[in-house]
Amino acid sequence: MSTYQTDGLSMENLCLKTIEIKKRFGGVRALIDGSIEVREGEVLALVGSNGSGKSTLAKIITGVLDQDYGQINYFDQQVKFSNPMAAQKAGVMAVYQDLSLVPSLTVAQNIWLANEPLTKAGFIDNQSMHTATNKLLALFENTFQASLHPEATVSTLPPDEKQIVEILKAVSRDPKLIIFDEATASLDSNQVNCLFNVIKQLKQDKKALVFISHRMDEIFRIADRAVVLRNGRTVGDALISTTNEKAIVKMMVGSEEIFEKDSAAFVDLSQSGTALVVENVENAKLKNVSFSIKQGELVGVGGLRGQGQSALLHTLFGNEPYTGQILLFNKTINFKHPKDAMGENVAFIPGDRATEGLLMIRSILENFHLPNWRKYAKPLLNLNQAKNDAKKAGQQLNLVMDSLESPITNLSGGNAQKVVIGKWLLRNPSFLLLDDPTKGVDVGTKAEFYQLLNELTRSGTTILFYSSDDQELLDLCPRVLVMQDGSIKADLFDEFLTEENLIAASMGAHETVSNNEEYVHA
Amino acid sequence: MPEKKNKNIFNRLRAFNKKHAIGVPFILLVVSTVLFFSLQTNVFESGTIGRLTNSNFRTWLPVLLLTMGQALVLIGGGLDLSNGSIVSVGNVILALHVTSTDEPWHNLAIVALVIGFGLAAGFLNGILTVYLGLQPVIVTFATSYIYAGLALLLLPSPGGAIPREYTNYYRNTHYLGIPISLIILIVFLLIWEFFRLRKYGCFLYAVGGNPKAAYTTGVPVTWMKISTYILSGFLASLGAISYSLLTGSGFSGSGADMMLPSITGAIIGGVSFSGGSGSLLGAIFGGIVLGNIRRIISIAKVDSWAVTLINALVILFALAAPGFINLLRRKK
Repeated sequence: MSTYQTDGLSMENLCLKTIEIKKRFGGVRALIDGSIEVREGEVLALVGSNGSGKSTLAKIITGVLDQDYGQINYFDQQVKFSNPMAAQKAGVMAVYQDLSLVPSLTVAQNIWLANEPLTKAGFIDNQSMHTATNKLLALFENTFQASLHPEATVSTLPPDEKQIVEILKAVSRDPKLIIFDEATASLDSNQVNCLFNVIKQLKQDKKALVFISHRMDEIFRIADRAVVLRNGRTVGDALISTTNEKAIVKMMVGSEEIFEKDSAAFVDLSQSGTALVVENVENAKLKNVSFSIKQGELVGVGGLRGQGQSALLHTLFGNEPYTGQILLFNKTINFKHPKDAMGENVAFIPGDRATEGLLMIRSILENFHLPNWRKYAKPLLNLNQAKNDAKKAGQQLNLVMDSLESPITNLSGGNAQKVVIGKWLLRNPSFLLLDDPTKGVDVGTKAEFYQLLNELTRSGTTILFYSSDDQELLDLCPRVLVMQDGSIKADLFDEFLTEENLIAASMGAHETVSNNEEYVHA
Repeated sequence: MPEKKNKNIFNRLRAFNKKHAIGVPFILLVVSTVLFFSLQTNVFESGTIGRLTNSNFRTWLPVLLLTMGQALVLIGGGLDLSNGSIVSVGNVILALHVTSTDEPWHNLAIVALVIGFGLAAGFLNGILTVYLGLQPVIVTFATSYIYAGLALLLLPSPGGAIPREYTNYYRNTHYLGIPISLIILIVFLLIWEFFRLRKYGCFLYAVGGNPKAAYTTGVPVTWMKISTYILSGFLASLGAISYSLLTGSGFSGSGADMMLPSITGAIIGGVSFSGGSGSLLGAIFGGIVLGNIRRIISIAKVDSWAVTLINALVILFALAAPGFINLLRRKK
């Protein structure tokens, strides 16, 4: 058994070592030198921008993908897991970012899939499955709604609860190595705390843990060591106790600059007219929502996850019926279908790019122009013009791609999200709805994205921006609407827009928040 | 307290229906059966109901067996358009080679050959679909012509005769007053229930619901998919045997009209085209509903073109109902 000593860590058995893993998808080199080591009882943070190869490396370790080159040692044995089944048998599990749940099955069935407790006669033991599931759910006690129970169908659950089920599925198999691939991306802070307690317990039980996350504070809270990937290469390795955020971010982005709040970039709104007035809007997920936005304003929507933020955006885009009144640029509107909203120059950028934002099997060009083809029919399709426009938009967004014709699946998460944004920007929208667009997007891309939003507001575009990342709202938005349980709990701006107020309002505390009534109904 | 108890039963039924989605097919089953019997003139004479039940189920059994196979393939996320042609091949082989009762071992060998052909044909469908990564519609459409061609090659014009002793046994045997065709059906449903409550059932619904998720969780997706086609082929070969016992003769196009009803029955029975949901019991209900509709139409002496039209409308209704409901909700 090989052991090794590092400052601040005891000698533990080496669990996994990957050596120079390489992987290519078509023309894109996803991984050039993926080299990590993780020991028993250690939490290794795997960090890097989107497209740096973290997920690819995780999938190679768990046997979902085959590497083109390189070696994996597992407890000092060279291994090659030809499929996830083999990896699981050896005790390697992953919690995936693109969830590996079957929506039509129940929570219990999903957690115990391919690991079902059986009676002596070989039947599924539903009773013990139910009990064991309840036991697992207790790990996240009080952080989810009553609708999450062993017999609930997974398709009816919100994203955070699905993620919890996914985590419990991995934990239930009692593996020796667990990879958490962006497992916290859709969890709120209470749920993250529960997850961290689970991870601490696993650590005590001498499990090896790999933790992939974009949230720096989480890495510093839970990890012992960090390995940084950049453009498919392992570029750095640091003990958390002896490093700081800046040093890691520097390794991640290389030379790129990091965005900082720039109040000078905020648009002066004293002269602008009203863009949107929402009065007493109600539906299944919204309760008596009223607010107004000025033209060129960038308004954030915050709060805990699943409090009606997405529903508000979907409602404004004509995707969900409602009662109440909505005025857009002083005109009463009643969108029945997204195409009505598009007709009024409203654009919606979804957060779930795989299902709501992109046609995964089509080319980058086709995805870019999906809402825009009509523009190029004169009467025959002017493909050259379309290509030129797409190329220009791609350059504007700093899109890294092979060619416009390659499939969208060749792009990394951050680059794919750029296409989702770009396709709507090509329409020059006057009102932009953003549904948590930076979820799982790296620091560099985020900075570019913030700059873009500021440019848009300067040119008069009004933006309503939901984000599950509080820090992002504080950094970017001059004003934030905080939602709880389908209604707007607080309207924060100027000196009231502080982290304490934002968190207090999300949790439903009243005293700390101050609304400016005059402003709300401007 | 009877009210509370009623409510409890109602809730239980609702939970059961939510889990197995057989509420609508069951209601359709009851309505169509009552309608069918009410159109009979002498339904209260002794023996009428038993006679009609026997004649219905011995006629329907081949299609119902195919419907079960189709439901398995659909739940697993596939589609089998070749099951009818497998029936044709089996029927032709039986009609050509089971011609006397003198050599029971020979006859048994022929039956085994038919079943073997069904398994092999299903295996071919599965392998082509899974390993070539082709759409099941294309693969099984193509193989359906291969099997149909084989049937035509073996028996260019209708003929052959299966001994009366065998056909009479299938047509007229009752145990405890239940016709043998219905007993066979119940036995197969029980056998399926045995497998559904084991790993096989769990895996099947997972593979149909989201094959990628099932794969990353460690479910043997490839093997599961192939197995559904094999089972469909197996049940089609049993369909061929029961069909041959029903008609007593061979015809190279005998199964051609069974493929579509097998799909329609499963869909009416709550099996989803997109995979991962539905039940075999529901599919059987759907198949019986379809059979009842045909009987009702024939009693009503409607023209044959209208029979086709009504069948088509039933398919359209079964497929479009969920979409229509969504559309109506939206309009509101």
